[in-house]
Amino acid sequence: MRSLALLRILLGPVVLLHLRPFLTDLLDGHIYRDSFHEPYASWYPELPRLVYGSLLWVAAIAAVMMSVGLLTRVATTTTFLVVAYNLFLSTTHVHNNRAYLVILLAGLAIGPCDRELSVDAWLRGRRGLPPRDTDAPGWPLWLLRFEAATVYGASGLSKLLDADWFGGTVTYLRVIEVRDRVMESPLPGWAVSLLTDRPFHTYAAKVIVLTELFIAVGLWCRRTRDAAVWVAVCFHVAIQVSASVEVFSYLAIAALVIWAVPSTRDRVVELDRTSRAHRRLEAGLRALDWLARFRVVDGPPGAPVTVADRDGARFRGRPAVVLVLSRLPITAWFALPCLLLPGVRRDRDGRNGGTRVDKAGGRVGSAAARAG
Amino acid sequence: MRRYVPAISVRVVARRVVVVLVVLLQVGLVVRGYVADHREFAFQMFPEASRWEADIVRVTAGGERIPVERPWAGYRWEELVRGRGLGYPGARHHADAGLDNQIAFLRAALDWVAHNTPRDRETRYLEARVTRWHNDDPPTFETIRSDERAGVG
Repeated sequence: MRSLALLRILLGPVVLLHLRPFLTDLLDGHIYRDSFHEPYASWYPELPRLVYGSLLWVAAIAAVMMSVGLLTRVATTTTFLVVAYNLFLSTTHVHNNRAYLVILLAGLAIGPCDRELSVDAWLRGRRGLPPRDTDAPGWPLWLLRFEAATVYGASGLSKLLDADWFGGTVTYLRVIEVRDRVMESPLPGWAVSLLTDRPFHTYAAKVIVLTELFIAVGLWCRRTRDAAVWVAVCFHVAIQVSASVEVFSYLAIAALVIWAVPSTRDRVVELDRTSRAHRRLEAGLRALDWLARFRVVDGPPGAPVTVADRDGARFRGRPAVVLVLSRLPITAWFALPCLLLPGVRRDRDGRNGGTRVDKAGGRVGSAAARAG
Repeated sequence: MRRYVPAISVRVVARRVVVVLVVLLQVGLVVRGYVADHREFAFQMFPEASRWEADIVRVTAGGERIPVERPWAGYRWEELVRGRGLGYPGARHHADAGLDNQIAFLRAALDWVAHNTPRDRETRYLEARVTRWHNDDPPTFETIRSDERAGVG
């Protein structure tokens, strides 16, 4: 469950960002119950001031430990419990981004996120113990995927069913309300005119709604997943620069890693280590292959970079490099559109000499033969 | 010869139950979001462009109506009610999570202030006259009162 391990690392800083306003208030001598709050239930335990404050600091420390993977299970569970406890203290604490954070932390708390990319795993190796099995039941991951898709689906559906939203009234009024800020922004004049044009919103609103629904559905299908991930990143960056959404953008982009196929090292990269360019690519791979998608082996001297995909298709040269970059979390957003370039696409479809090999390495037929 | 019956372990059954329960709960919360004031886990983002403002007064035992912008008995409204756009209700605000949600918070805030200002011995109740603009609809008006405060007058 490499993706859960990576999500665990990414969520640590997000939890700290989430806790920051609570901790800042605490340092100013203020906690939630010093001002208006609304408990969900009278039986929900409210802690003494000192204990509550300490708990918030414990959560911050646990988030750091969760991120680095020290006493990972305990740290992750503690982070989840404190963040969830704090969320449900008052109706005023609940926002969509915080609810999503609690869901993701719950998924990590029940999922096997501690077995790799952690200090625990490193210490285990130092003690001479064999690494723990990284195979695990997939249900926590599937639940997280369901929840992640629900966030987009529920949001898109609510807008689709709302005539004001789908018709563009809501987005138009929101822009008009902050027109002064839009005018002062570095946007060019034509963009400001467009954004403050009512008919533009009639179409823009539909694009927004359909984008959310596309992400919700597209993430489930392998053929559309790359596009859905790419669109989701654009979508969250646009939200981040145009609205105040606390940690939602960071959270949602981080959570995209759960859509990586949970098998690891099932793509083989053949490199000629005598080539400086290949060595550079290998170094980049070792540093950035956080989802452990590639296994690097020695290729024949003078041969181009070759990648055997998990379905057996082989890529050579530039298409192979593009495929590698499109599967690394940090470069994926830039490289994914390149998969649509004619040269790369032709190779991907196997019409440029691409061949399929079975898992054992034996050929099962050329792509041209398949197409035929 | 003993017949082999494949057994599904308790653990597997428990996992399936958890998955089904979580899915049902999440779907239920999404549906609830269409009828509830507070839409927890319904993920309705940026639901409205609605706006609201409220003139809030303290109504004393003598019938005086005193705006809460004026401090009283050592209290300040903006210190008692922070966040959710409630600190300065006299200014027009965007209803971040929808008008119903915002008005529910305002109603709860009036009650909270009424019950948590023990030094105040003159206020009978708080009253808010709310103006609400649902998206581009014409404004509507509503008066909300807090609970009556005990032992006043």
